Amino acid sequence: MQTNTPENAAKTTRRWSSRSIGSHLQHQIFYVLIRMGGRRAAYLLLYLVVLYYVLLCPSVRRKSGHYLRRRFPGRGAFGRLLDCYRMSLELGKALVDRAVVGILGPASMDVELVGRERLLEIQAENRGIILVTAHVGCWQAAMSALGFLQTPVNMLMQREPGDIDRHYFEHQGLDCPYKIIDPQGFLGGVLEMMQVLKKGEVLCVMGDRVFGSDKNTVSAQFLGAEVAFPYSAYKLAATTGAPIVVLLSAKTGPASYRLKLAGEIRVPSRPGRGAAAFAPYVTEFVQVLEEYTREQPYQFFNFYDLWSTPDDQG
Amino acid sequence: MATVAKLKSILIEDMNLEDIAPEELNADTVLFGEGLGLDSLDAVELVVVIQKHFGVEIKDMEEGRPAFQTIGTLAAYIDEKTAA
Repeated sequence: MQTNTPENAAKTTRRWSSRSIGSHLQHQIFYVLIRMGGRRAAYLLLYLVVLYYVLLCPSVRRKSGHYLRRRFPGRGAFGRLLDCYRMSLELGKALVDRAVVGILGPASMDVELVGRERLLEIQAENRGIILVTAHVGCWQAAMSALGFLQTPVNMLMQREPGDIDRHYFEHQGLDCPYKIIDPQGFLGGVLEMMQVLKKGEVLCVMGDRVFGSDKNTVSAQFLGAEVAFPYSAYKLAATTGAPIVVLLSAKTGPASYRLKLAGEIRVPSRPGRGAAAFAPYVTEFVQVLEEYTREQPYQFFNFYDLWSTPDDQG
Repeated sequence: MATVAKLKSILIEDMNLEDIAPEELNADTVLFGEGLGLDSLDAVELVVVIQKHFGVEIKDMEEGRPAFQTIGTLAAYIDEKTAA
């Protein structure tokens, strides 16, 4: 089997999708339940909905299996099914919680930030902050908890037409609390990204997914095999001098999240040209991510085969 | 034309495009994609290189989009900014 090297990733069309699994009506039912009965009422329905999808939709089991096979290699069929249920349930809870924050307000969720003081110290360097996060926990919780920095937050984010999940601020018709930079824009939005960092603002990027057929990837060992990860954030850091902060969120209780400053990565200016120069810094992030999957195995939300290559897919 | 010539040598040296000879480049050479083959991340480096050598800062998308088409459009942008 060929590994997922940057060269292969260059040929790859995007393999993940942000398209919602449920219909518009199903989402509305959850929103009504939250309004009428709060988070618990929505969770009750969620347990049944997730059970339905896990038992009756093979695609749900297949999509979660890519990661679960790597994370729990020794599992039997029943164990795998249970893992799939737990992982799907955690994703469902994260989506419900996001809606709860939007509908009932931020006070409905406790968010603890571990590393707050360090984040303020890094901000005081006045070189902007590149906040690298991942599709774990509830990343929107991370966004909503950055107000104390008192600086604009910019998010590199692509949204598909089929994505009907509402972001938390959309429930109350509020303006987006962060500025969205479209990676499909001119030159992948890099000029905008450089500009916000120059102004000392926060730029948030997802470090675990490749947008489109981005050839700017470098491979790193993740859960026992090579995966291509994007290195654009690290190149931006090298060029602008901005520090990289890895901030990951995790659900810690029924109505609580913990955001953790899980890593701090410094990329020297001009480390060299080409992907290999950035491999050590990408690896630092990947090690933090792998550590996260050890601590929170069911809160890793990448439902596609990170480890596959275009050749694997035929 | 002087800016085009300087830009050609800077692109080759600072962007590490050693496999390209200066005479292969001209004002019509497209910077990104099929032309010179630069990609979006190279744009990050290019912005820094232009500022270093010409003291010209490309501030935003509106300025960058027309300037980042060909070597000629970039040279014209630099000339315009340095003359101002």
